[in-house]
Formats: sequence, structure tokens, C-alpha cells
Amino acid sequence: MAGTSSAQEMLDQEMIARIGRRDQSAFSALYDRLSGPLYSLAMKMLGDPAEAQDALQDVFLQIWSRAATYDPEQSSVFSWAVLLTRSRVIDRLRARGRRSRVVVASTEDTPAGVTDASTVESAADTVEKNDEAARVRHVLNNMPSEQREPIELAFFEHLSHHEIAARLEQPLGTVKARIRRGLLKLRERLNTL
Amino acid sequence: MISEEKQDQAALYALGLLGAGEDAAFESELRANAELRDLVRELREAAGNLALAAPSLRPPASLKQRIMGEITLEAKRVVPMPRRASFGWVPWAIAAALAVFCGLLALDRVRLERQLADIRAVDPLMQTTFFALAPSAPAPSGAKATVAWQPGRQSGVIRISNLPAPEPGKDYQLWAVDAEHKDPISAGIIRVDQNGVAQVRFKPVEKAEHVKAFAISLEREGGVPKKEGPILLVGSA
Repeated sequence: MAGTSSAQEMLDQEMIARIGRRDQSAFSALYDRLSGPLYSLAMKMLGDPAEAQDALQDVFLQIWSRAATYDPEQSSVFSWAVLLTRSRVIDRLRARGRRSRVVVASTEDTPAGVTDASTVESAADTVEKNDEAARVRHVLNNMPSEQREPIELAFFEHLSHHEIAARLEQPLGTVKARIRRGLLKLRERLNTL
Repeated sequence: MISEEKQDQAALYALGLLGAGEDAAFESELRANAELRDLVRELREAAGNLALAAPSLRPPASLKQRIMGEITLEAKRVVPMPRRASFGWVPWAIAAALAVFCGLLALDRVRLERQLADIRAVDPLMQTTFFALAPSAPAPSGAKATVAWQPGRQSGVIRISNLPAPEPGKDYQLWAVDAEHKDPISAGIIRVDQNGVAQVRFKPVEKAEHVKAFAISLEREGGVPKKEGPILLVGSA
């Protein structure tokens, strides 16, 4: 996780190990740490508070039941949880029978009409998380749009590389290379910031 | 060296964009190629970070209650409820007795904690915190460690058991996870004997006044200034 120190990663792993031993207090602590970013992601992809909450419930129940199978060699706890969330959200998008079109530019503010069912995070208790988010947004905003756009379309809209190529009217090979370069650049810049 | 074509595939895989057939073929390559696995992990971390670019929201508090309720229910389902006895008043009587007993225990605990605090204040040997380290996925399931940490002395003792010696070119390294430090603080290399046992006194390289956990990772031989390898054992107090 951007800005998530390896110290935080260790604590996350410890929480997951405890959840694997059915420790509800560790589960509660991990929920407090991850629910904001995961809910924000679900909202951005689904655009519907009720559906985003249902997806988040599925994700956390999955974390509860699958914590013992988490493999730290494959990803950090945060990235694992993000992948689970995307997967649940994509299931819901498929069930809807349509692609979500709720793509909000990464620097935009909270979408209108969602604050009644969710709470915009208070700056006071989420300073660290907001720092991380600010870093990611800063890096994304400073990337060439030709690299940023295909990554955002792939990640938030779950368009395939074929669909992205059609949407951006670019050859498939170019789109693949831009996705690769964009992700590598994102990784490099987040590691150096 | 990973070819550009493979890097393209790795990026698509990290974003979940490969089709089912391509996915399976790529995963079989991943199993055989450590360098490719490292690249995929890093790309996956970069992709995971994208979630933070979404506008920050927090779910309503009721959602947490709903989820906690679900997992509590699940726990209850695992332990079947006993059949109701004909002496319906007995469980209530036991519950009342337990409530009184718990109250007494709570009072006793407060008294003991006060006594313990008084003793700790005068005896530095009592200012020791114990950490039980449990294995994380890559470690053998029987591996374990206990750390006795004395914050006042900034030193501790670790005892490890059932942790096989690392492969050549690698070492186990101990880390203190401190609330005031972004990165874990190195507490040195730990070498286990042929029985997978070690008992070592250690001192972190930086002051660690708010240690929340200790962890052992597998690192390059001689150790590293900043954690790089996988965590094998981790535990809080």
C-alpha cells in the first residue's frame, strides 16, 4: 500500500494471522483500517451506496473465512483486500448486466448524493490514510494521460484490453504497452516518494 | 531478464485482465519463474494502490455492526446450542452466579493490576513485555518464538523453536515494529542451530519506545537495513 510502511504491513499480517485463529477483535481492527478505502473503491465502481455496502459485507465475510489462506508472498494484506473487493464488485456489475459507467476523475470530490448513506472521512482521524491517498493521486495526476487512462479504465471500469483499445481508438499492442509502462511507473514513483 | 511481452502479460495479470485460458498458462509460468513472481507482486501492489485514488468515503457505522453480527452468528452456528433442559430456571441461576463471580473477578483484577503496577515501578526486572510470535504463511506451521522485551533497557531476549536453518545466502532477521517509526527497526540477525532453536539477546539499532510487535523475516545473508524479504513469524504483546 502506498505509504504503508512495512511496519504497517507487518501489523496487517499479524491481524490476518489472528483472524485466521478466529479473533474477532483483530477482525474489528482490520475492518476499521481497511473499510474506508475498500468502500471508496466499491462506491467508485458501483456508484450505489446500498450495493457498495453489500459488496463490502461480502468482502469482509470472505476475509473472515479465508484469512488462514492468505499468502504474504503474493501480495500485501491491503492489495489482497483490494483484489477481493474488485472481484466482488465485478460480480455485481456482471449480475447487473451492464458495465458501470461511474468513473469519476481521480481528483474529483465525493460524488453528489452519496453522503446520505456514507460518511465522508474526517481529516482528523485519517491523516495517514489521506496522506497515502494524496500521494497516489499526485503520482497519477503527474503521469502522462496516455498511460493513466488505460490503467484507470482497466482498474475502475474493468474494461478488457480489447475494450480499452476500442474506447481509446488505439492499437491493442499500444494499449498493452501503455498499461505496462503506466503500472511500472506508478510502482517506481510510489516507491521513491 | 523478463521480456517486454512477459511484462505486458504480468501487468494485465495484475489488473485481472487476462482471459481464463491465458490466466492458467501465465500462472504455470509464474510457478517456475521467481523473477516473474516478484514483478507480478510489485505490479499487484501498484494496482492495489489505485484504490486510494477513489474519492475517500467511509461506510456507515451500521455496516460494521451488520458484519460483526454475521461473524458472531457464524461462530454460534459452529458451536451447536445445547438442548433445553426441563429445569428451565437452572441456566438463569448459573448465569446470575457467573455474573456475580465475574464482578468479583473484575474487582480482584483491578486490585491485582494496581499491585503489579506498584511492583513494576520499583523493580526494573518486572518491566518486561512478552510477545508470542506465530508463523506467517511461508514459515513451517510448528515454528514459534517468544520475545521478552524490556523497553527501559532497550533490549530483549528471543527464543525460537522449530525454525529450520535458512537456505545458503539467506539469514533470519528480527524486527521491532514501533508506533513511532514508519519502518520496522532492525534488531539483528538470528541464527538457529541444527535443531531449529535459537536463544539470543538483542538490541534494536534505533530507540524503540512504543513497540507494538516483533517479526522475523528471511533476508539476504548478513541482513538488510530495511525489510525486504517475507515475514515468517510475527506477534504482538
